[in-house]
Amino acid sequence: MTEKDVVEGFARLFGAELFLNKGFVVRNGDSYFLLSQKLKNLTEKRGSWLYAGTYLGKIERKGVFHPSSSLLFIIADKAKNRITVDDKAAWLFICGRDIFKEGILKIEGSRRKGTYTLVFNRNGECLGYGRIARNLEKLKGGLAVKNLFDIGDFLRRERPAVKEI
Amino acid sequence: MFGKEFFVNRYRLLGWEFRDVAPRQAIRVNRMNVNGFDVVGRLGNLGVELEKVPFLENGYWVIRSDFSVGATVEYLLGYYSIQEAAAQIPATLFTDLKGKIVLDACAAPGGKTVQLADLMDNTGVIVALDVNKQRLEALMNQLERCRVKNAVVYRLDARQASKLGLRFDRILLDVPCSGNFATDKDWFRHRTLHDVRRNAKLQRQILAEAAKVLRSDGEIVYATCSLEPEENELNIDWAVKNLGLETVDIECYGDEAPTEVFGLKLDESVRRCRRIWPGETQGFFVCKLRKRR
Repeated sequence: MTEKDVVEGFARLFGAELFLNKGFVVRNGDSYFLLSQKLKNLTEKRGSWLYAGTYLGKIERKGVFHPSSSLLFIIADKAKNRITVDDKAAWLFICGRDIFKEGILKIEGSRRKGTYTLVFNRNGECLGYGRIARNLEKLKGGLAVKNLFDIGDFLRRERPAVKEI
Repeated sequence: MFGKEFFVNRYRLLGWEFRDVAPRQAIRVNRMNVNGFDVVGRLGNLGVELEKVPFLENGYWVIRSDFSVGATVEYLLGYYSIQEAAAQIPATLFTDLKGKIVLDACAAPGGKTVQLADLMDNTGVIVALDVNKQRLEALMNQLERCRVKNAVVYRLDARQASKLGLRFDRILLDVPCSGNFATDKDWFRHRTLHDVRRNAKLQRQILAEAAKVLRSDGEIVYATCSLEPEENELNIDWAVKNLGLETVDIECYGDEAPTEVFGLKLDESVRRCRRIWPGETQGFFVCKLRKRR
């Protein structure tokens, strides 16, 4: 599987079709990046870089692809599976919590258990993604979407924070 | 040669009377991500009181907030960065950044790298260097959070920038420095003139490397958050006399730099640098340089 296949395959979990230019999705160690032509030219001749262009995600343990927030933003416009949540559920979600049926304002796309879905706030901003925990069609209340990744991760991963001057 | 009295006396000789200050926290709106919507108004609705920094286009002081402005959805979405007001000045001093090849030589933790990307509208290329692994992690997190698309990060000492085999249109030298008392309450207790001189030496080495990799029509912006002239005016005087560089007029917040430091006469062109004494902001020093024409 090429780098492009990995990333596009991930997008398809949400019903999104991405058409990335093959040569511009590159793997560096376990991480995937989308480069511009200028960056591609520059990095090809100068190895050992750590980060370049748009960070798309990385392969974690057991070979599972873990997306970056940037990739979720790229997918956001195209995804069919989408859940919009109220303010309280949005806040809890970015604190790493799961979504309960009571906090869901709108469901688009599949409602089936096991489906991957992007999570949006009232402003239509993508906050992360999760997996539908129980069939939403019949669900009256309680756990609805299991949190798999949210943008609050930026705060959690930077502890202890590096002081910004 | 250390202690509060020693340093305060030096500041007096440079024309500034010491006073305790507490610079306000500031944010900078990332224009590339907000698509014209009013992020300041949105923060206002959350109860964050902001005041426009008069000398910055996208900078706001945080007057009051009941919670950390680093823990909002807006922050996590990269709509703004937390960046001290004076620290927002250096990147704005470059002319015409779009599409350029820019070196951010001491980039971590990345506040200015993101600002450069914002000013460049994510065009061109930013080559961001640093050596500290933990700070590089913070830099890369910032790039991801703020959706920067035009940067490449290398773990490389700025003094070895020429190893990349590139020539740069613009070079930001936000060099490692001794800092200042306004952002470090223990500054006077743990800093000595020896530290200052050691940092000044490192800064000259970085300046020399930058001069080597600068294109003939390129620009360097040199910045420190130190108040010590060894790291500022004396280094620029040295660069002008030894590296074939000349200072360029800049229009920004701050005072004209002195051209006589502790009895030493410096090149007149050092006057074009800006010295920012702590007050509304932390202490800072900025200078723009180019190859002598």
